[in-house]
Amino acid sequence: MTDQIQPSMWERFRTFFGKGSTQLSLFIIVVCLWVVFSNLAPGFLSKFNLNSLGRSMAIDMVIGFSQMVVLVTGGMNLAVGAIGVCAVMMSGFLLQDMGLPIPLALAGALLTGTLLGWINGFAIVKSGVNSFIITLSSASLFSGGMLILTKAVPFNNLPTAIGAFGRMRVGPVSVLMLVAIAIGIGLLILYRYTTLGRQILATGANERAARMSGVPVDRAIIFSHALSGALASAAGLMLVARLSAAMPAVGGEGWLLPSFLAPVLGGTLLSGGYISVIGTMLGAALVTTLRSGLLVLQVGNFWFQLFLGIALLAAVLLERYRATTALRREVKQT
Amino acid sequence: MNTLARRIFSVEWSGILAAAIAGFIALALLSPAFLSEFNQFVLLRSLCITLLVAYAQMVTLGVGQLNLSVGAIGGLVAIIAGGLMDAQGMPVIVAVPIAVLIGGAAGFLNGWLTVRTGINGFIITLATGSAFTGINLGITKAIPFYDLPPAFVAFGIGRAGILPYLLIVPLIVTVVMLVFFRRTIPGRQLLAVGGNEHAAELSGISLTRTIIIAHTLSGLLAATAAILAVAQLGSAQPTIGASWLIISFAAPIIGGASLQGGHVSVVGTFIAVVLLALIQNGLVLINVDPYWVQFLLGALILGAVWINRLRAVHTGTD
Repeated sequence: MTDQIQPSMWERFRTFFGKGSTQLSLFIIVVCLWVVFSNLAPGFLSKFNLNSLGRSMAIDMVIGFSQMVVLVTGGMNLAVGAIGVCAVMMSGFLLQDMGLPIPLALAGALLTGTLLGWINGFAIVKSGVNSFIITLSSASLFSGGMLILTKAVPFNNLPTAIGAFGRMRVGPVSVLMLVAIAIGIGLLILYRYTTLGRQILATGANERAARMSGVPVDRAIIFSHALSGALASAAGLMLVARLSAAMPAVGGEGWLLPSFLAPVLGGTLLSGGYISVIGTMLGAALVTTLRSGLLVLQVGNFWFQLFLGIALLAAVLLERYRATTALRREVKQT
Repeated sequence: MNTLARRIFSVEWSGILAAAIAGFIALALLSPAFLSEFNQFVLLRSLCITLLVAYAQMVTLGVGQLNLSVGAIGGLVAIIAGGLMDAQGMPVIVAVPIAVLIGGAAGFLNGWLTVRTGINGFIITLATGSAFTGINLGITKAIPFYDLPPAFVAFGIGRAGILPYLLIVPLIVTVVMLVFFRRTIPGRQLLAVGGNEHAAELSGISLTRTIIIAHTLSGLLAATAAILAVAQLGSAQPTIGASWLIISFAAPIIGGASLQGGHVSVVGTFIAVVLLALIQNGLVLINVDPYWVQFLLGALILGAVWINRLRAVHTGTD
C-alpha cells in the first residue's frame, strides 16, 4: 500500500482537467466566457442579445450534429454547407414558385438534403475513395448545380408564417432552440439505445473489425451520410425561418469550420467511434458565445475567424493532452 | 495491343493530355474567338496563378498531408505585400521577398504544429487557415490596397505577343519542381515519407524535418501565387485565395497525385491545370453560365479519382 501524499493545487487542477469529463470542462469554459463578456459589455445579457444568441446557437448546434454523425464513422463531410444551401433554395423554390403548403415544402427540402447525403454515402462506399475527396467534390458539384438552377436569385416572398415561426418563443426559449434540443435527444437515443447506433459506433471505432464481426458497415456509412444531409438541411430550414428568406449566400464554406468545431470541442473523436451529443451542443454554445461576445464588444466580425481557428487548435491540443495523461495514468496503475 | 500503344497508355498523364488536346481542338472549332491572340494570352495568364496554387497543394499531398490553408496564406501574403508597398511605401524589391518569406513562415508554422502536436495536418491547417483569414480581414477590414508601384502592375498585365510576362515565374517553378522531386535528396525523402512513413523513418529519414519542409514549401508556393495575383489584379485584394482550395486539390489529383501521399506528378499537374484553364476559358467563350465551372470541377475530380482507382486496380492485375 502506497502512502497517500496530499496532491498539490497544481496536481489537483491537472487531474480535474485531465480526468473530469470533456463536457464538464467545456461547460465551465462557456460559463466563464459568459461572465467575462457580460462584465465587459452589459449589452451581452440584454433580452435582444440573448434572443439572437438562442436562435444562432440552435442553428450552430444542428450544423454541428450534421458533421458529428459523419465524424462518428471515422469520415468527414465537407459538403455540409453545400447541402444546407441546396435545401434552403429548394425550400424557397417549393414555397414561392410552386406555392406548396408549408409542411410539404419543408418535407421536400429535408428529402432533398437526405438524398444528397445518401449520394455521398453511396459514392464513398461503392468507390472506396476517401470521404474527404468525395465530399469535397460533391460540395462543389451540389453548390454549382444549385447555382446553375437558381441563378443565385434569392427567394424573398416566402409565406409570413415561416418568419413568424422563427421568431416564436416558448417562455424565454426560442422555438428553434427547442427544435435543436429535440433533434439532440433523438440522436442521443439513436446512438445509445438502438442497434443501428451501436453499429455506427463500431464502424467508426474499427471498420475492419466491425466488418468481420458482421456489422453492416456499408449500410452504417450510407445511413450516416444520409442523416448528415438531413441534419444539414434541417439547419438550413431553421436559417430560412430565422431570415424569413431563402438565399444562397448562407451556408457554403461559412459552415465548414463551425461544423467541425462543435463536435471536436465537445469530445467527438475525429478518428470515429466515440460521440458526445451534449458535448456538441456545448461546443456550439461556445462558438456562438464567442461570436456574439465579439460582436457585442464591437471587436469586429473579422477577428472572429482568428479566434475560431485558435479555439479549434486549443481544443484539439487539450484533447491530445487528456488522451496522453489518461494513458499515462493507466500505465502507472498497472 | 502493341507495345507502343501500351507504353503510351501506361504513362499516367496520357489520358488528360489527350483530353486537353481534344478540348483545344474542339474549342478552336466551336468558337472563332478562341484562337485570337488576345484570348490565347488570357488563357495563358489564367494558367500562371493556378499552376502555383496547384504546386502548393501538390507538395503537401506528396508527403501525405493536406493543406487547407493555401488560400488563407495567399490572402494574407497578398495584403501584406500590398500593405508594405501601399501604406509603407516600400519598394517592390523589398516588399515582395518579405511577403513571400512570411508565407513561408506561415507554412513553417503549419508544419511545426503538425509534427509537434501529432495532430492530423487537416485539422491544423483548417484552424490556421481560419486564423490567417482572420488576421487578413482584421488588418484590412476588407478594404484592398490600391496604390501599387506602376512597374509592378505593368509586369502583371504586360505581354510579349501571346505570352504574359507573368508566365516566366510558373515555368521556372515547374522546372524547379521537376528537379526537386526527381533529383534532389529532400524531394525524394519527401515522397518516401509520403509513401510509407514508418519505412522512411526506419531508413533514417527525419520525419519532422521532411514534413516541415513540405509545409514550408507549400507556404512559399502559395505566397508566390499571391504575389502574382496582386500583380495581375493591380491591387491587393483581401479576397485573393478565397477560391483556391478546390482548385488546389483538383489539379494535382486529376494530374495523378495519390491522396495517401508518396506519388505526385508534376507533368500531370501541369496538364491538369491547362485542362482546367481550357474548360474555364471555353465556358466563357461559349457563353455558358459561369456556375457550370464549379459544377464541372466537382465532376472532374470525381471522374479523375475514379479513373485513378480503375488504373490502380488494372495495373494490380496486369
